[in-house]
Amino acid sequence: MARMVKNFVNGLWNENPTFRLMIGLCPTLAVTTSAVNGLGMGLATAFVIACSSALISLLRKVIPDKVRIPAYIIVIATFVTIVDLFMNAYMPDLHQVLGLFIPLIVVNCIVLGRAEAFASKNSVIASIFDGLGMGLGFTWALTVLGAVRELLGAGSIFNVKLPVGATIGIMSLPPGAFITLGILMGLVNMISARQKKRAS
Amino acid sequence: MNESVRMIVVLSVIAMVSAGVLSWAYQTASVIIEENEARALESSVLEVLPGTSTVNIIRRSPDELGVEDPGEMKEREQKTTLIYQGVDAQGKIVGYAFVGEGNGYGGVVRVLVGVDEDTDQILNVKILSHTETPGLGSRIEDEGFRSQFAGKTAQDPIAINQDIDNLSGATISARATAEAVRKGLQDAVAIYRGGE
Repeated sequence: MARMVKNFVNGLWNENPTFRLMIGLCPTLAVTTSAVNGLGMGLATAFVIACSSALISLLRKVIPDKVRIPAYIIVIATFVTIVDLFMNAYMPDLHQVLGLFIPLIVVNCIVLGRAEAFASKNSVIASIFDGLGMGLGFTWALTVLGAVRELLGAGSIFNVKLPVGATIGIMSLPPGAFITLGILMGLVNMISARQKKRAS
Repeated sequence: MNESVRMIVVLSVIAMVSAGVLSWAYQTASVIIEENEARALESSVLEVLPGTSTVNIIRRSPDELGVEDPGEMKEREQKTTLIYQGVDAQGKIVGYAFVGEGNGYGGVVRVLVGVDEDTDQILNVKILSHTETPGLGSRIEDEGFRSQFAGKTAQDPIAINQDIDNLSGATISARATAEAVRKGLQDAVAIYRGGE
């Protein structure tokens, strides 16, 4: 059980996809104009990673090595399409905002990365924990990024208007995503460095 | 089993299962998606025609439009021939609502325009969908910008810097919105007047 927890926590901090591995940056930079968008995108991705990791781990002995990548892609694309359809049905507003970036989860390297690096070598339960950890690590990173950009760019958080006098328009635009990501990444590194110092 | 046969079999089975699951998901979701869209459009009609309690859809048949080309016919059918008639609780016609489109910075801007039955003036404009830059072009959704269209008729220019104030930093989006309202209004008037 302790190993499962370790798998889970791994994605949240030590190997956080956004701040540590720096993969899947395309949706990270594009959709984090608000906290809600970041959260929605993160949860959709988390669902896809957890489900596809579980299924790929289940099929790891059946899938021949030479065709594993196309097999993984079909599995991932199936889950992404399911998310796309049901998000459109039950959360049409969020679906409209995220738009093209939902189908693009298929090519998000975190999903294929976890399938290749973890799910294809580990048990189903461990793969689910790993997938959830990675997915939720991605989710919190995107939510924080979205919240900072929304606060500075539009003067609100989770669509709640705050009494902020001035807003910085560029924070809603792509350069704002790079600036915020850079600063947050620096903060995460700083906290980790302190932790390491204390540990040693 | 031969290795290449095994590869083919495994991939085919995965693909077939995937196709089966997806066709189920599509059939389940598409019903709700269509309902959502119809409901969203209806509630938009209520927004642009205040006082409306029932919405009737007026469909114009293709020969009434006088369009020969089936492709264009279909396009026009989707864009302008659906006119929504708003009727209030007493059965009096409040006005008509219709969809207009304009080309913005990031794609098509679709608007719903509500026109008063008696005065032919625009009552309200709602942005149905757009893909403009968040924070800049997306300000076309703001009440302050949209309210400028109220009171305009098909005789007005409805153009940026003439009778509609620009949005600084979002000229193309603002222009697209004005174009969508203007074109939608002109098309609707042509169809409506031509048909009555």
